[in-house]
Amino acid sequence: MHPTPVKAAVSAALFFTAAQPVLSAPLTEIGPGEGVVDIVAWPGYIERGETDPNFDWVTGFEEATGCQVRIKTAGTSDEMVALMNEGGFDLVTASGDASLRLIAGKRVQEVNVDLVPSWNTVDERLQDAPWHTVDGKHYGVPYQWGSNVLMYNTDVFEEAPQSWNVVFEEMTLPDGNSNKGRVQAFDGPIYIADAALYLMHHQPDLGIKDPYELTEDQYQAALNLLRGQREIVNRYWHDPFIQIDDFTNEGVVASSAWPFQVNLLVGKEQPISSVVPVEGATGWADTTMMHVDAPHPNCAYMWLEHSINPKLQGDLAAWFGSVPVVLAACEGNELLGDEGCDTNGLGNFERISFWRTPVTQCATQEQCVPYYRWVTDYIAVLGGR
Amino acid sequence: MRYKASLGLKVAAFGGLAFLHVPLGLIFLYAFTTEDKSYQFPPPGLTTRWFEVAWNRQDIWDALTLSVQVAAVSTVIALVLGTLAAAAVFRSRFFGREAVSLFIILPIALPGIITGISLRSAFNLADIPFSFWTIVLGHATFCVVVVYNNVVARFRRTSASLVEASMDLGADGFQTFRYVVLPNIATALLAGGMLAFALSFDEVIVTTFTAGQQSTLPIWMLTELVRPRQRPVTNVVAVFVIAVTFVPILVAYFLTRDTEHVAGAGK
Amino acid sequence: MTTAVATAPSLGRRLSNGLYRRPTLLLLLLLAPPLMWLGIVYLGSLFALLAQSFFSIDEFTGLVRREFTLSTYAQLFSPANVDIVLRTALMAAAVTVAAACMGFPIAYYMARCTGPRMKAVFYLAVMLPLWSSYLVRVYAWKLILAKEGILGWFFAQLHLTWLLDAVLALPVIGGASLSVSYIGMFLVFLYIWLPFMILPIQAALERVPPSYLDASSDLGAHPGQTLRHVILPLAFPGIVAGSIFTFSLTLGDYIIPGIVGSSRLFIGQAVFVHQGTAGNIPLAAAFSVVPIVIMAIYLTWAKRLGAFDAL
Repeated sequence: MHPTPVKAAVSAALFFTAAQPVLSAPLTEIGPGEGVVDIVAWPGYIERGETDPNFDWVTGFEEATGCQVRIKTAGTSDEMVALMNEGGFDLVTASGDASLRLIAGKRVQEVNVDLVPSWNTVDERLQDAPWHTVDGKHYGVPYQWGSNVLMYNTDVFEEAPQSWNVVFEEMTLPDGNSNKGRVQAFDGPIYIADAALYLMHHQPDLGIKDPYELTEDQYQAALNLLRGQREIVNRYWHDPFIQIDDFTNEGVVASSAWPFQVNLLVGKEQPISSVVPVEGATGWADTTMMHVDAPHPNCAYMWLEHSINPKLQGDLAAWFGSVPVVLAACEGNELLGDEGCDTNGLGNFERISFWRTPVTQCATQEQCVPYYRWVTDYIAVLGGR
Repeated sequence: MRYKASLGLKVAAFGGLAFLHVPLGLIFLYAFTTEDKSYQFPPPGLTTRWFEVAWNRQDIWDALTLSVQVAAVSTVIALVLGTLAAAAVFRSRFFGREAVSLFIILPIALPGIITGISLRSAFNLADIPFSFWTIVLGHATFCVVVVYNNVVARFRRTSASLVEASMDLGADGFQTFRYVVLPNIATALLAGGMLAFALSFDEVIVTTFTAGQQSTLPIWMLTELVRPRQRPVTNVVAVFVIAVTFVPILVAYFLTRDTEHVAGAGK
Repeated sequence: MTTAVATAPSLGRRLSNGLYRRPTLLLLLLLAPPLMWLGIVYLGSLFALLAQSFFSIDEFTGLVRREFTLSTYAQLFSPANVDIVLRTALMAAAVTVAAACMGFPIAYYMARCTGPRMKAVFYLAVMLPLWSSYLVRVYAWKLILAKEGILGWFFAQLHLTWLLDAVLALPVIGGASLSVSYIGMFLVFLYIWLPFMILPIQAALERVPPSYLDASSDLGAHPGQTLRHVILPLAFPGIVAGSIFTFSLTLGDYIIPGIVGSSRLFIGQAVFVHQGTAGNIPLAAAFSVVPIVIMAIYLTWAKRLGAFDAL
């Protein structure tokens, strides 16, 4: 099971007593397609074979249903929430730090799982996951999960680094040079949780129990760690493709990254590998959610069903370096290979702290620092404050 | 009227031009590179296959078509509005004249991102869905100033007595406009129109906010540049645009230069 | 047909003559369309935006709360945000000064020392970058400035890597490589906006009557004195006009600091991040007020120097 499902459910429940979402009734029957479906997705999540013709799980769907898929990529969870607030989209592949916000903001609607015939094939650990299930109602269909990894250059690290300290503290790397100016960190406030996770392991006396539930003191300790990190980070990464450039042209040798970048760089025969260090890692579990005013609900339901077919799940896992939510996808997929799911971290489920929106009322502490402060403070840290 | 330049001046002038052109040379060079995922210097090999790839990509043609349409419509609107404003500001001194000229310059004097988000939030408030016309609305707003500048400068050089003479000789206002004013400002309109077109054609900041899901050529480039897929294609498109626009810029230059000394300008 | 021809012009004539005799009416007719457009489309949306800076945002759902508050402005004046404003303004000022220094000789050479053919070449050379995609040019610079990029390669060929390292070791403006330093960002800004400085200066210089220069030298002035006391004062409005572009464009750009630089935010990025990425329209609106105020001061000053006549 998810490490803290009860706590998360409690915090979500506490939250919803404060803000009751008005629930519109979901569709009970799928009608003819509207010809189009608009999806907000992470880069690399929905591929139509443009980068590599082998990775295409859109064209077939378009031919079969007549629903043309239009994709808007978003680089951060905040961007996804902003796009959904703006409207005009049908679906979003929301991570756990966005999904509850979307539900609370009444931006997404309940999904009628009866209209998704393959629902029962979804990994049971995820079917009722607290980041898309509120009061027993499902607000989406799980899409894919995975962990953030420590990506490193194998010319510099002959052995995989054991700890995240190579990106948090100034030190001499195995090649004899300092790591200053040669490491990167993620350009999103949720990265504060990575710092908290590191402190959880290295400063147990702070009493951090969950990296998304930080008291003021724990939070300040995490910010201090990040301020120190600012000194050795030359640029924070935001766009995976720019990070790829930085690893090839800018002499960056270690950074938190998605398996996506690792796969692409390895595919280009660069000396790159990745590891989940001893502290564990933050990760994401993404859910395809439907906008409350989705203009094309029928095509959206068709996509939801399509999104969990084993072929797509396996191909996507191979492409993105993530783990399928349908375990059947792990076997017999040509692109993923039989070892694929294990390589991508199927066994790591327990070691991952999944992205969640930090809220004031939290389960493991008396009062926690809420997300909006993470946003402003992280901008300040990037600015050197 | 020509003065001899000292060596220092020559070095500074040509050095400056070199600074402007070396990166253009790079764009050209990397349209031919064989490495398509990330740029490396020097390029590992040269090929012309990207031109073929670009030619066959429908999304480029779609984006190009949209950009040309947007730029053309915005330019026409800007020509009309800019000329009207220039005529008004030039031909009379009225209360608030200064304010009007400041007002017209505002959209280009304030950063594009402000124009962009204010238009976007206005569209949101008014529930206007993004369309071709929302892009045009944004572009025309900052194109007006370019036309205005060119035309008002020309009006300053055109003698007002020409208009009076025309009226005295029995022409009505429309005839005067058609046969006297228009020929005088025609080349200024052309130059202003060209600039406005160029400005609109390459605009990315305002467009990001007003385009919604549509893709003009610069928006297409923005999405294309951040992914490692056939990168040189963006350079091919850039080179293509430079090549296609080379001649019109030159023509506009000669047209405006030769008419700098229009009739009546002597006084 | 004959009647139509006979009456139509007379109607038109009466109309046009009437307008000619009533300049105020004509003026209003001329001004109405452009002012309506700018007033409604532009100013309207500008005020709609600024009004939102008095709203605040619900921290969890990210939805805007439409109640009057000054809390968003209080946020604007937090030290981290003040840093962003100062950083951007300093960069814009540095870029403007450098563009003027670099643009003036080019414009001067263009206006004074070239024949018609050479002038056309120069004009084309200055205009051409404006016509080639802004984005592709910025990305070309990323390649030039990268650690393993062209400038680095060039310095290595000349055995001058130590010099580059020394420059990059400078505090504040240096960094691990040119592409993550303020120097790199400055170069890109300068490159992108330089043509906007050259063109107005050149236009201003073209308007300096040659007889002034002859008179100055006849009266015994050195070329240097002529430059300082005759040419520069006459070209100054052109420089100010150019600086409006370079300053304002640098102030609001969010693409260049995102591609080149050290992740320290600039105003344009702050607006972009708060508006798009974080969905915090009120704070984005409050941030937009900053360049508006800066440009208002700048324009007032420029107006006094007569820069608008040189645009």
